[in-house]
Amino acid sequence: MTPDPISELMPLVYEELRRIAAHYVRGERPGQTLQATALVNEAFVRLAAERARHFNGRTHFLAIAALSMRQILVQRARARHAAKRGGAPQRVTLDDANVADGGAAFRRPDAAPDDIDVLALDEALSRLAALDADLAKVVELRYFGGLTVEETAEVVGVSPATVKRQWAMARAWLKRALDPDATRASSGEAP
Amino acid sequence: MTPAQWNRLKDVFQGALEQPLQARHAWLVEQCSDDAMILREAEALLQTHETAGTFLAEPARLDPTDLETLLPGTRIGSYRVLEEIGRGGMGVVYLAEDVRLGRRVALKSLPAAVAMHPELRERLRREARAAATISHPFVAVVYALEEMDDHLYIASEFVKGDTLRSEIARGPMLPERARAIAAAIASALGAAHEAGVIHRDLKPENVLIKPDGGVKVVDFGIAQIEGPEATRLTRAGAMLGTPAYMAPEQLLGASVDGRADIYALGIVFSEMLTGRHPLQGHRDAHLALTGPYAPIIGRCLQPDPAARFTSARELMEALASDPSGTGTHPEFQQQRGPTPTRFWWEFHQGTTAVAYVLLMIPAWYARGHISGWQGRAFFIVLAASVVVAAISRLHLWFTSRFYPAELSWVHRRSSRWIRIADWVFVGTLAGGAALIGDERSVWTIVLPSAAVGVLVTSLLVEPVTTRDAFKRSGLEN
Repeated sequence: MTPDPISELMPLVYEELRRIAAHYVRGERPGQTLQATALVNEAFVRLAAERARHFNGRTHFLAIAALSMRQILVQRARARHAAKRGGAPQRVTLDDANVADGGAAFRRPDAAPDDIDVLALDEALSRLAALDADLAKVVELRYFGGLTVEETAEVVGVSPATVKRQWAMARAWLKRALDPDATRASSGEAP
Repeated sequence: MTPAQWNRLKDVFQGALEQPLQARHAWLVEQCSDDAMILREAEALLQTHETAGTFLAEPARLDPTDLETLLPGTRIGSYRVLEEIGRGGMGVVYLAEDVRLGRRVALKSLPAAVAMHPELRERLRREARAAATISHPFVAVVYALEEMDDHLYIASEFVKGDTLRSEIARGPMLPERARAIAAAIASALGAAHEAGVIHRDLKPENVLIKPDGGVKVVDFGIAQIEGPEATRLTRAGAMLGTPAYMAPEQLLGASVDGRADIYALGIVFSEMLTGRHPLQGHRDAHLALTGPYAPIIGRCLQPDPAARFTSARELMEALASDPSGTGTHPEFQQQRGPTPTRFWWEFHQGTTAVAYVLLMIPAWYARGHISGWQGRAFFIVLAASVVVAAISRLHLWFTSRFYPAELSWVHRRSSRWIRIADWVFVGTLAGGAALIGDERSVWTIVLPSAAVGVLVTSLLVEPVTTRDAFKRSGLEN
């Protein structure tokens, strides 16, 4: 059976992710965040039971889940950003404007809890994809999907060693792309 | 960078990683001897790699509530989500399109915690049915309660407009406009109560003002969920830290009727008039209770429901009879800012302050005609009273121009000191005139004249301008 196009499966995966998150909300531990790995794995276990036939195996599901997670995070960051631009004035707390580990960087107020500016990362990742789609895919799977090196290798169809090398390169490239102090003539900038 | 260059960069970067740390640089230089650009880029990447620390080391995390977001284009039954338009303790509101009927709706997604609670869900179902029977021009129509899997959605009329909250945030409203909006809300509540629906969560956020000035009350009955369980479930939302609109009996968890909504409307009305919540902070807790609408608001805010208006209709009639006597035209006036009568009061405050300071010049010359320590004492006391009176008046003038919401409070607080300073000023002028040794001196005329002038303005002119300014703005002191 040929796998369905991703666009048809997205709502299914997305709905499952929502349902899982809803259960966590019900548990009500305010401020608690969920890690992508846990969320995606739980979604797989639940979806596999009822809708396995939709998916061309676990790898297919993982790829869609990672893409869903990326879209969700970007969408929320964008909505927050818009609310801050248009809505009532909000104070930027010290946490929002803290100093990043790599260099002094003023973070946007919608930076994710782990200090990554999701919107900037998403944008840089799109630029990386234009240069090297494989590298960008690895980042999407590992960061947004929470996949391990082995799972990523399985999804992409390369060896774990290759994934490790690609990850190192992509991570360094993204770090430079996100670091305002880095020279703007960074790798692949404006090809 | 060409694809070939990128591949080369990738090769040398990944090759360098295979080398021992100390040998990497030399290895790179050797590999890139023919291409300085690749060498520079690879060096930079390698350095970033070595200092990247925990960057992206942990997978993304998200707040579970982030997953309550529906992406634009998502289909919920027969609705297609267009965009998120609001988010609060009671869920997320989307602008959506009902594809069956081709109309736009406000689709409220209730918090998952509420939706999955069977008892709350049943209560919401009942309430939505009742709310759907309300038909009133000032009530946003509830179209449907949709239950999809674990989620609950309420589809209702999409109202384009600002919330009353953002209007209040811009400062106190003209009393006539506030009255007209309060009357419209009372009329909406009346229709709802007669349909057996109590709002339970009336607040400025739930009143929308359309671009044409019309009023729509939204979210009828959604706060039906009550009791400790619901409080716990909804507490985590945006209501945290906002002033309460709940009637005492509602706060205590007793069963409530329409009179709880009347209490809430009393707070909203007073907030419209003054720009602030009447129970917020101590300093102007009774601010709104001094204007022409004080009796109405006071009756709404009675702790005992039996002492309030018995129905929203009765409240509406009280509001319609318009005790301020400025007309009952239903079209709301849009202009705001100082009323014309406040101008003369401001003018009076400003000129009096300037005149006081200018009077120090003749006083300085008069001092020369009073001998010894008496002359010094005369001038020092006079200067002190001028400082108090002039600064206080300029402060009032400034407040009136730029912070009208604070005016009533500032005026109430400073008027006694101004009065004292005025009397000290007059007394000192008179005393100074008496102390002048040379009876033929011109100062024996000038000082008493100034004293009389100040007395006349303080006793005759000021009360008139003050009464006009404060009576007309509904902030009578």
